[in-house]
Amino acid sequence: MTLESTATGKPFVHHHAAHCESGVTSAFFRDKGVDISEPMVFGIGSGIFFGYLPFIKPAGMTITTFRSQPGAIFRKVAKRLSGDFVVKTYRNPQKGMDELRQVLKTGQIVGLKTNLYWLTYFSERFRFNFSGHNLIVLREIENGFRISDPTLEHPVDCPAADLQRARFARGPMEAHGYMYYLTSVNPNPDLRQACIKGMKDSCNLMLRIPLPIFGIRGIRFLARKIISITEKFDLNEACRLLADIIRWLEDTGTGGAGFRYMYAAFLQEAADLFGSAELASLSEEMTAIGHDWREFSLVATRIIKQRNKSEETFAKAGGLMLNCANREEIFFKRLQKVVRKLKT
Amino acid sequence: MEPDEIFRSIADVDGLKRGQYTPNNQGKYILDTNPSWPETVVNGLYVSDIRARIEEARRAVLAGQKSPLYYHMARRQMNTAILAKTVGMTVFRVKRHLRPEIFSKLKPSILDRYAHALVVSQEELKSV
Repeated sequence: MTLESTATGKPFVHHHAAHCESGVTSAFFRDKGVDISEPMVFGIGSGIFFGYLPFIKPAGMTITTFRSQPGAIFRKVAKRLSGDFVVKTYRNPQKGMDELRQVLKTGQIVGLKTNLYWLTYFSERFRFNFSGHNLIVLREIENGFRISDPTLEHPVDCPAADLQRARFARGPMEAHGYMYYLTSVNPNPDLRQACIKGMKDSCNLMLRIPLPIFGIRGIRFLARKIISITEKFDLNEACRLLADIIRWLEDTGTGGAGFRYMYAAFLQEAADLFGSAELASLSEEMTAIGHDWREFSLVATRIIKQRNKSEETFAKAGGLMLNCANREEIFFKRLQKVVRKLKT
Repeated sequence: MEPDEIFRSIADVDGLKRGQYTPNNQGKYILDTNPSWPETVVNGLYVSDIRARIEEARRAVLAGQKSPLYYHMARRQMNTAILAKTVGMTVFRVKRHLRPEIFSKLKPSILDRYAHALVVSQEELKSV
């Protein structure tokens, strides 16, 4: 936690978060006086998801996502907690930067979608060509902006030219200067109602999308692909593809095990909120699923690191993933039943 | 160097920490800033991949197979499709400019567009 201030001198507390978008959304609500944690935001915004999108390739890497699409968490949370928000995109970079400065002058904090490569306050290991990183701009400073990036421990400075490039970077999933902020919130939101909506939505997303690449079906699809990956690709290529999956699972600010630990943390808070023992046991189940995903990434990492010498096989890694799919299916079906019994 | 060593060597210098949720002794979730082992390996692997790609591009330019534009494109982690969008040209034209003999005859105005898109000076753009 670090104390900062906005352009009008209003204090702002920077909290460290695991994931960019839920961290940003949580910071918005805290700034408006509603104290809501990152896992809570993630749960209410139905962040947990699975999708395998082999046809979008930013930086040559296929997308395996463990959360819903960028922007959805913020929109859903703002709607479910009855907050008013503004979302804007721009064609003209200059206009986008001018409007950002104007909004900042009113003391409002602003969320931006940016390209990770052009954010120079990051070091080499963070910077890759991916336009989906969210951050908060606090105020304008000399030659740049003061930025509260929730994935980092402390606020940082970013030069204006770099921020402009990051906002208007071209390529897959372009941000087009995507800018968003909360204008007002309900000071006493109905957290229980919002949690129920969030959980129901998550169950639908994971169980009921009739496409083979999303939800539980998506996990099974990818797992079967991993099992037979060596038939199609040589070992080096197969290891590279597996490494990409592990990056999405562990490396891209997921809070560990592809957001599963974060969701377990949400269920823990929800269990306290509702006083429900069933939710508490579901939280433990989610933690166990998280451990299974972690096990999968450990096995896969061993394959990647030792190549041929390893005793681990692609079939074993794929099998672990199938196991995760089975457990998650049971988990979400149980959650569906438990949610119906919860009272607002 | 092993991938996790690469990760450590960068992480020790930048001092930036990312969080992940882990249950503590009482089973309550807290934000932990120690990276997990798979994370360090895949991230180190990614960094070494990028470095290798840039080095490969540099060699190709020095060997006279590609124009310096190819190296600068790799350095900015772009491909021809992204670079073409950024400078506002067709992919066909950008690919043509990757040939050394064609790149050497480019007008300063075109070079300026590339220099602006790749955030390098015109002199830098002509060398590796």
